[in-house]
Amino acid sequence: MKSYIWLQTVDGSIQQVEQEIAMFCPMICHEVIQKGMGSSKNYAISLPQQVNPAMLSLILDYCRFHQLPGRSNKERKSFDEKFIRMDTKRLCELTSAADSLQLKPLVDLTSRALARIIEGKAPEEIREIFHLPDDLTEEEKLEPLKNATDDPRIRLLNRLYAKKRKELKEREKLKVTGLLISMFQNVEVDEELVDDRSVDDLLSFINGDDGDSKGIKTSKSKKKNRRRKDLLKSTSAHEATKNHNKESNGLNSVCRSAEVGQILPGVGATTNLQDVEDDIFPNKNEFDDGDIDDEIDPTLKEKIDREVEDFARRLNSDWPERMQEILSLGQEKKPVHLSLNGKGS
Amino acid sequence: MEITKVLPDDCISLIISLTSPRDACRMALLSHAFNSIADSNAVWQMFLPLDYIHIISNSSSPPSLLSLPKKDLYFTLCYHPILTHNGDMKFQLEKESGKKWYMVGTRALSIQWVDTPRHWTWISLPDSRFCRVAKLKNVGRLEIKGKVKLNTLSSNTNYEAYFVFKLVRDRYGFRHTPVELDVSIEGTAAGEVRSVILDPPRNMPQQAKERADGWLEIEMGEFFNGFEDDRTVEFSLREDHDDQPKRGLIVQGIELRPKHKHNR
Repeated sequence: MKSYIWLQTVDGSIQQVEQEIAMFCPMICHEVIQKGMGSSKNYAISLPQQVNPAMLSLILDYCRFHQLPGRSNKERKSFDEKFIRMDTKRLCELTSAADSLQLKPLVDLTSRALARIIEGKAPEEIREIFHLPDDLTEEEKLEPLKNATDDPRIRLLNRLYAKKRKELKEREKLKVTGLLISMFQNVEVDEELVDDRSVDDLLSFINGDDGDSKGIKTSKSKKKNRRRKDLLKSTSAHEATKNHNKESNGLNSVCRSAEVGQILPGVGATTNLQDVEDDIFPNKNEFDDGDIDDEIDPTLKEKIDREVEDFARRLNSDWPERMQEILSLGQEKKPVHLSLNGKGS
Repeated sequence: MEITKVLPDDCISLIISLTSPRDACRMALLSHAFNSIADSNAVWQMFLPLDYIHIISNSSSPPSLLSLPKKDLYFTLCYHPILTHNGDMKFQLEKESGKKWYMVGTRALSIQWVDTPRHWTWISLPDSRFCRVAKLKNVGRLEIKGKVKLNTLSSNTNYEAYFVFKLVRDRYGFRHTPVELDVSIEGTAAGEVRSVILDPPRNMPQQAKERADGWLEIEMGEFFNGFEDDRTVEFSLREDHDDQPKRGLIVQGIELRPKHKHNR
């Protein structure tokens, strides 16, 4: 004589289920044993609201299979793999329902399936799958990273972020000088003076990409700085031809000393230990390349900025005469490639 | 259907903890709700080794480390190795997986003649985490051995063993003579014995790689640590064929690194 347990789902419908199957769920077990419920239709156990009839049916299928002790591990695994083949939404509902019934093995199974779905995906993709609002501000997204200042990559990110802000300002200055220089020297100014990456990209680099890409990106930022210095150098070269020798020398020496300033002291901890060997192969400098950019003496940096501004102003004042010159020369020369930041916004 | 309305927080925690530390960091960026769950102790505790409390309590680090939020503790252990086993071993976490990553320092290795000043000396170097490392003055036969109990390491993991060393300018005996490297689990047949030259001349390929900390490393072998294996894994480095004098090798230790899975 089989015994049955009476269960009521949130929509009011009542059904009876074989005892050994229903009791596989700890929550139902508890209701039966501790509270004596479920023995008849009138005393049907009210299931949590997450367990609608569809979910209950799935859960009972799961219980029906697994409660049989005779099954091998291989069989169980095989059943599980087929069982979880359902869309993400159902998986979530099933997880919730199983959780409310305290059916841990099923919660683990569905959770693992959901974990496999989201692992390795970018934030935007996951938001789409789970219909999540993108309700964090950019500041908030960077907030936890700002606190973890020990991580050299996070320090790099903070620096990249600060640099991005700075570059947006510098862009204006450089635009002017760059434009003018290219006109005089018929030189192609490199487009990528500015790091246009969005915060999300920067973050997914920190969080998502391989460590290797860090190396690539720091060398990129180093290259940018070098190009900026080249710009400065070329402005100073031009200056020299225009009787501003003092200025140009000033700029050149500033550039040179800025570069010297980049050579940071090595790891060289001071040692007062007797047996330190100084014929040991030197340590690799462990500082980020990214450090170098920001370690330029701020007064030097200011000086560079001032020189650039000065030069821009001077060019501006000479503008009308020079325009004449260019126009007359321009007839024979090829059209000047003027696009700065050629990448569309 | 927004997932945070369907699933309770602890289910979401469980799901996140079943992904990876890297994924968990990404998920903190998804939304407000996910932000607090993905950074929570419930999630990050799952990425730490099961016995992390035991490891930290028996290390040279301050116990205040244990009062850090679990996510901070995780990254601290990734970037700031701690000394365990009485200062003989260096411990950290492998960032992608949270698996245990140890270096067995020279003090915990068996080096033949290491305590005889004529053959080896103990020196302190600023770029070694260990107090002292061993420097070779002169031996004819070189033998360095180490062993580690498998249950010290992360279970269900492939490990690679590396010999971490330096060569000083005043060195000889390693340029043309290969040393034999071997890794095997006690009781099993010896794995392949690798024969490498630690200090090849410039026109020969360099088998040792330079590390970020300025030392050199050369792979000794691999092994797999299963579940609840109470055996020991043994390592050895040997040159005992030519009896020629050797000098100028500095040994930091043998590093046991979880092998990268190279996915995504």
